[in-house]
Amino acid sequence: MDEAVVHISGFRMDFGAVTVIRDLSFDVRAGETFGFLGSNGSGKTTTIRALLGLYEPTAGTLHINGRPFKPEHGGRLGYLPEERGLYKKEKVMDVMTYFGRLKGMEKRSARRWSLEYLERVALADKAGSLLDKLSSGQQQKVQLGVTIMNRPELLILDEPTKGFDPVNRRLLIEIIGEQKQAGATVVMVTHQMDEVERLCDRVILLKDGTAEAYGTIDEVQNKYGGRIIRVKYTGTIPRSPHYDVVLEETNYAELSITDTTDEAAILKNLIDAGVRVRSFTTTKVSLEDIFIRVYGDQNIPTSSLPAAPPATNALVGEEV
Amino acid sequence: MVQHNLGTVIGFEFVRTVTKRRFWIGTLSVPIIMAVVFGLIFLSNTTTDTASQAQSSAEFTLSYTDASGLITPQDAALFGARPAESAGAGIQDVQSGTVEAYFDFPARPDTEVVRVYGADKGIFENGKYAAVAQAMLTRAVEQKIGSAELSTLATGKAQIETVTYDGTQESGGLGSVIPPLVFLVIFYGLIVLLAGQMLNSTLEEKENRVTEMILTTLKPTTLIAGKVIALFAIGLVQMIVFLSPIVIARLLLPDQLSPAVLDVPPLIFDPVRITIGFLILIGGFALFTTTLVAIGAVMPTAKEAGNVLGVMMALIFVPFYAVALVVSDPHSGIVQIFTYFPFSAPVTALLRNGFGSLNSLEAGIVIVILFVGATVMLRIAVRLFQYGSISYTSKVNIRTALRAGSRHAASDAAPTTPAP
Repeated sequence: MDEAVVHISGFRMDFGAVTVIRDLSFDVRAGETFGFLGSNGSGKTTTIRALLGLYEPTAGTLHINGRPFKPEHGGRLGYLPEERGLYKKEKVMDVMTYFGRLKGMEKRSARRWSLEYLERVALADKAGSLLDKLSSGQQQKVQLGVTIMNRPELLILDEPTKGFDPVNRRLLIEIIGEQKQAGATVVMVTHQMDEVERLCDRVILLKDGTAEAYGTIDEVQNKYGGRIIRVKYTGTIPRSPHYDVVLEETNYAELSITDTTDEAAILKNLIDAGVRVRSFTTTKVSLEDIFIRVYGDQNIPTSSLPAAPPATNALVGEEV
Repeated sequence: MVQHNLGTVIGFEFVRTVTKRRFWIGTLSVPIIMAVVFGLIFLSNTTTDTASQAQSSAEFTLSYTDASGLITPQDAALFGARPAESAGAGIQDVQSGTVEAYFDFPARPDTEVVRVYGADKGIFENGKYAAVAQAMLTRAVEQKIGSAELSTLATGKAQIETVTYDGTQESGGLGSVIPPLVFLVIFYGLIVLLAGQMLNSTLEEKENRVTEMILTTLKPTTLIAGKVIALFAIGLVQMIVFLSPIVIARLLLPDQLSPAVLDVPPLIFDPVRITIGFLILIGGFALFTTTLVAIGAVMPTAKEAGNVLGVMMALIFVPFYAVALVVSDPHSGIVQIFTYFPFSAPVTALLRNGFGSLNSLEAGIVIVILFVGATVMLRIAVRLFQYGSISYTSKVNIRTALRAGSRHAASDAAPTTPAP
C-alpha cells in the first residue's frame, strides 16, 4: 500500500513567462484513490499532462512506477482526459475495439468486453451507431468504457463526472468504485467535493502552483479546523485563542476550533461573555468549506484564514 | 507490442477508410468518368469517321469548274459532276436549285483555296460538299501519280519504326520510357488523391480531441507510421481500381486493344530503372506524407491546413513547367536544383529516370535524400504531434514543440535529472 505508483517531486511548469506550477511534490500510493483538487486554472490538468509525457516539464521528476511514463512501457493506464473526444465518424464498437486492441486485448475479447460494458451502461443498441449520433452524455460513457478497458492498474480521471446527469454520475462512481475494488490506483481530478469525501483516501489541494494541503481527508480537515461550531446568537462574539471566527454574519457565526478545547468550554466562554446563544451545533469541516475558504478567500477576512503554507510544499502529516 | 500496435493502427486506418461509402464514390467516380469520357471520344471519332466516309461518297447533283486541269471528265463523272460554264453560272445554278453544289477548283489547289458552294442542308450535312470536293481532288491526284501506294506515301502515311543502340545494346526507345514513367503517374495519382487525407490524418485526432487518449495509449511514432503505411495502401487500392478498367478491357478485347492496334511500341522493362523508379516513388511518397502529416499536426483546423496544401501541391507541379528542359538538357543548373531539392526531386528524378538521363550515382543521391528527408520529417511530425497537437484550438509554435521534443529526449537519457 505504501509503494508510490505516482511520484512527483520538484515539478515546475512554465509556459513562456507564465509559471503555472511553481514547486510541486507528492506521491500516489498503490491501491489508493487520490483526489487532485484545485480551482479552475490552478494547474491540475497541466500536472496530469506532464505526468503522462504530454507536456515537457520545465523542471522536476514525474514518474509512474519508478520512471517517466511512456505508453510503450506496457503499464496498464486508463486515462480519461478533461478534453473528451473519440473518433466521431466511427462506430462505437469499432472505436472501443480499436482502443482495446491498442491496450493489448485480443480483438474478440475486446468486442465481448465492449458489448458487456455497453449493456451495463444501457448503450448496447448503440454499438453499431456512429459516435457523433450519440448524445454528449452517451459519448462520455463510451469514453469511460475505453478508459477502463483491459483492467487498468492506474486510473487517471480528469473531472470524470463533468457532463453527467445525477443518475449516470452514480453509475460512474459505482464503476470507479469497482475499479478500486479490483486493485486499481485511482487519481481523480474533480470539483465535486462530496465525491472526494466519499471516494478518496488522500487528497492534494493545489494553489498558486504549489500544494496548499496534502494528506488524508481527516488530516486536511484537521488542518482547516477539523471541527466547526455554528452559532446563532445575539450580542458580540468575543475573540479567543481557542477558535477562529471563520464566518460572521448578522446573528450567525462559524467558529473553527484551533486547539483541543472541547465545545462545552467554548459555549460556557460565550455565555460568560454575555452572548445570548440561541443555537449551538458542532460539525466537522467539509472539504467544500475548505475549498471555498482556500479558493474563495476574497470574501473571507485574511486574518481568519489558516496560515499560508511555506514556499515549499505545505504538508499535512506527510513528508515528501 | 509496438509491432502489434502498428498493425492495429494500419488495420484501423485502412479499414475505416475503405469501408466508407464516400471513399468508393470518390474512387469509382474516377474510372467511371474516364470510361464515359473515353467512350464519348471513341463514339465521336467513330461517328465522325463514318460521317466523313459517308459524306465523301454522298451523292448529290453538282457542277464544277477546274482551272488546274487535274480533274478529268471521267473522274468527274464518277462523282456525278458536270462542268459548269463559269463560276457565276455554277453559283447561280446552286441558288436556283438546278444543282445542289458547285465546286470551283483553282489553278493551284495546293496554294489556292478550293471554293465550294452548296444548298444549305444544315451545319452537319453541309460538310458533305467539302468531303466530296476533297475526294474528287484526291482521286485526280492519284490518277496523275498512277499508283495508290505512291499516293499513300505522298500523303506521309508511311509506317516507320526506330531502333536505337546504346553501344551494342538495343536501347529500346519509347518502349523503355513508358514502364519507368508509370511510377511518375502513380506518384501523382497518390499525392493528388491522398494529399487531403494525409493532411487531415492527424488533424482528426486534434479536432476530435482524441490526442490525449491516443498519445497515452501508443507511441506517436507508431501512430504516424501506421497512418502513413495505411495511406499508401489506400492509394494502391485506388490505383488498382483506376487501372482495373484497362486490364478488364484488355482481357475482354485482346485484339482490339493489342499494342500494335493502339500504336504502342513493345515495352522494355529495364530492371535497374524499374527499381530506381520504385524507390523514388516510395521515398517521395514517404516524404510528402510525413510533411503533410507534420503540417496537419501544427494546424488547428482543416480549413487553415488547406491553405498550406496548395503550396505543397505546387512543389510537385513546378518541375512540369520545365519538362522540356528536364528532357532535353538534364544537366542544366535548374534541372539539377529540381533533381536534388527534396520536394521537387521525386517528379524531376522520375521524369529523368523515365527518359534515361538519370545515372546510377544521381539516382542513389536522390533516393538517399528522399529517404533521409522522410525520416527527418517523420521525426519532426512525431514531435509536432506529440507536443503540439494538444494545443487543440491554436496554431502550434513549431520551435517550442521541437525544443520540447529535444528536452524530452534528453530527459529520457537521465530520467531523474531535471530538464534544463
